[in-house]
Amino acid sequence: MIERLPVRRIILIVLSLLIAYGVIAGTVATLQTGRFSTADWVSLFTAGVARGSVYAIIALGYTLVYGILFIINFAHGEVFMAGTFTAFFIAQALAGQGILNEYPIPSLVLLFVVSSVVSMAVAVILERVAYRPLRGAPRLVPLITAIGAALFLQYTFRGFYGAQVRAYPNIDILQGNVTIAGFSVQKAQVLVTIGAIILWFSLYMVIERTKLGRAMRAVGEDREIAALMGINVDRTIVSTFAIGGVLAGAAGILFVQLFNSVFFFMGFFPGIKAFTAAVLGGIGSISGAAVGGLVLGILEAVGPILFLTGFGIPSPNQLQPIISFGILVLVLIFRPGGLFGVPDEERA
Amino acid sequence: MMSRFPRSVNVGLLGGFVIIYLTAVGMIEAFYDRPIITGYLQFSVALMILNYLFTGYMAAKPSKDGAAPKPISAGMIAGLTAGALVGFFVLGMTVLAELGYNPRDMFVSINPASLDILSFGQTAALAVPIQALLGAVMGLAGGYLFQTAKEARSYVLVGLATLMIAALGAPLFAVMMDGLNIPSRWLFDRDGLTIAGAIVVVAGSVGIKWYFNRISFAETVAKVPGVTKKNTNLVLWAITGVVLLMLPWVVNTFISDVLGTVGLYILLGLGLNIVVGYAGLLDLGYVAFFAVGAYSIAVLTARSSFLVGGSVTAPAATGFMNFWVALPLTVVIAAIVGVLIGAPVLRLRGDYLAIVTLGFGEIIRTLVLSDWLKPYLGGPQGLTEVPSVPLGPLPARDPRILYYVIFAFVVLSYFVAIRLKNSRVGRAWAAMREDEDVAEGMGISVIKYKILAFVMGAAVGSLGGAFFAAKLSVANPGSFTLLVSINVLAVVVLGGMGSIPGVVVGSLVLVGLPELLREFGEFRLHIYGGILVAIMLLKPEGLIPDARRARELHRDNPEKLPDPILAEAGGLSE
Repeated sequence: MIERLPVRRIILIVLSLLIAYGVIAGTVATLQTGRFSTADWVSLFTAGVARGSVYAIIALGYTLVYGILFIINFAHGEVFMAGTFTAFFIAQALAGQGILNEYPIPSLVLLFVVSSVVSMAVAVILERVAYRPLRGAPRLVPLITAIGAALFLQYTFRGFYGAQVRAYPNIDILQGNVTIAGFSVQKAQVLVTIGAIILWFSLYMVIERTKLGRAMRAVGEDREIAALMGINVDRTIVSTFAIGGVLAGAAGILFVQLFNSVFFFMGFFPGIKAFTAAVLGGIGSISGAAVGGLVLGILEAVGPILFLTGFGIPSPNQLQPIISFGILVLVLIFRPGGLFGVPDEERA
Repeated sequence: MMSRFPRSVNVGLLGGFVIIYLTAVGMIEAFYDRPIITGYLQFSVALMILNYLFTGYMAAKPSKDGAAPKPISAGMIAGLTAGALVGFFVLGMTVLAELGYNPRDMFVSINPASLDILSFGQTAALAVPIQALLGAVMGLAGGYLFQTAKEARSYVLVGLATLMIAALGAPLFAVMMDGLNIPSRWLFDRDGLTIAGAIVVVAGSVGIKWYFNRISFAETVAKVPGVTKKNTNLVLWAITGVVLLMLPWVVNTFISDVLGTVGLYILLGLGLNIVVGYAGLLDLGYVAFFAVGAYSIAVLTARSSFLVGGSVTAPAATGFMNFWVALPLTVVIAAIVGVLIGAPVLRLRGDYLAIVTLGFGEIIRTLVLSDWLKPYLGGPQGLTEVPSVPLGPLPARDPRILYYVIFAFVVLSYFVAIRLKNSRVGRAWAAMREDEDVAEGMGISVIKYKILAFVMGAAVGSLGGAFFAAKLSVANPGSFTLLVSINVLAVVVLGGMGSIPGVVVGSLVLVGLPELLREFGEFRLHIYGGILVAIMLLKPEGLIPDARRARELHRDNPEKLPDPILAEAGGLSE
């Protein structure tokens, strides 16, 4: 018998050659035009790092839930939106009284607390109402539920707070630039990156050093055995959602320092991108989320201009979603386990 | 649920929160404009009444641990609690506003207008007794309803449901009756029913139910001369067909248009049903094929594709093509795109596939929107002046043309879907959906059949896109958002994945109703989200289940098969 033509493999090889050519040729051509100075590249890079840090923190929510339940919590972006949008009203009230600029640090702490608590509450309710009854159901079922829940949450908050885009009040001391190693960097970007590092490190300590962290890892390994070992599985799962919610709420306050606006649909794209980051780093892995977030953020900020300008494509930044979704597709095709995960045939 | 309150009070609090939620998201205020019985009962008031009735009913039900409450008193307590909660909410919010902390600054819908509806136009202080009384009476009725015989209860439910349907569909029914020259004024008054109308509708529905309780529907039909048991189905189908063909001549253009949209979604639903229902591949980027269809037909037929953006860069071979020549080309293009998207990603497991297809949907939308492809696809404003579908003597842009064309293609796709389901291919899909590894072991080429499902779905989806572009006479990126994918998914899921009649019902309910009930427009997606969650939680096989799919979905439903180890362990560590 003649061996069947390996169509899939041929498509994949052609695809990877095309992409490699595009990236290299585009980069060379862009650099040759000399339109961008080193300072331009550095500012794009730092913007990417800041944005990537936010993705990384949101991605932790996907990774934690996936690591324990093996479902994609599609509504996680809405958990992020809920806290951030609610905290907006606190920020607005504080700004109205002048407190926000007079006492910026206590105000920021208050915003973090409000945002995290609201996001946590939404995440816990989501788990209780939408996911818990479906444990053990076929895969498609919780996924469709999650899509429904995402839509429901978006429009609930649209109903609550209105459909218009609101401008988050600025904090004066976070405006302007600082000079680091000879390059001028926006203060907000520095704050966001440091904040994200603190959040990530706290989570890492929780997972590695606390009893709850150990319980979470055990439930992720094998739910039944963990239950036999005396772990309260339900409580551990709720805690996982709660931690993911707290992180999403905190990430929201970081996010608005960069992007300054909130509205009911704001959770969708950061959610998808954070998911991409989680997949890129290897879903289920805490370090993977951090690396995936940073890589995605930097590629998104630098990529369109670096790869596409050289081809003379007008307004390359419009094509930025293609970079992020393209990365997602490529990672899933070539390395479904993520950059750092083990390729797992069964899971992918 | 651990709580110090008795169960009836808990149920009541939940019932009260439902009303507060509906107020906070603005539904109570928006639905107040819609009459049920014109001048007497508004839709949002009816919602309150039904909610209290349901609360009372639920409180009267025995709880999971087997404790059976006294139905009537439990119902009354629950209703009273719910009503009182709503009353105190109105009072609290009013007091808050008086103190200068206007809740409206945060929650846009908690405003004087909606609070006024909850207090029935009285002062806020009177809201508590009014709502509590209403809640107690309706809760009592709900408890009583639980206690009565099942048959009596079904009469009440049929009467209430018919009343709501008749009232909400009043504008449609009135127009149809006018079209047939039947006097309708005595039944319908503006958007709602008259009192006489309400009585006739309720009495009529209860009477019909009573009649068919005695003689089955099939027997009644069989009594008509010329109808035998064998051809009953055929006769019913023929009658339905004739009615559907006549419909556009009876109703006005607006409703013709709505019917066209419903047909479009049936078409899209049938296509997605092949992918999601038959092959079990969750495709969240179905809009991509819809967009490919719309843009292909636009590029091939539109007169404007030469002139977009003032440039003449579009290839000279395109444009001015007849719709019927361009349509097969469009389907072929979509099928090719289906293969290109499908081939690399189909190895992926279900939930990854969903996200990747979503990504492709967004990539296509981004490309269409970009300045890069603007000379060809028109950027944000899209391609305009897509000619309408030419069909016989009917004048161009007559919505009836699209109705008939879509109707024909729906019938065709419906037939194909049925034949496909029971074919060798359909059985291969079912096997693959149930267990990919086993199917592969049985000699089914999983990749081949997955690509086939994708291509068929793409082809049907592109037909939908082509008709859509011809209908609106433009193809622009605003029409091809993720929400289209989710709408179609909701249509398929509501009707039942894998169920062909389910798609029709899903489209009628999810696409037809919101078009007719314009007050719902704003809440359409809100309700879709709720429906997706509710269906998955309560009835994952959908309204009209496909037998095989239903068995699969309940195979390891934890509700039906409690996990003894987990239940035990959860109890131990408390």
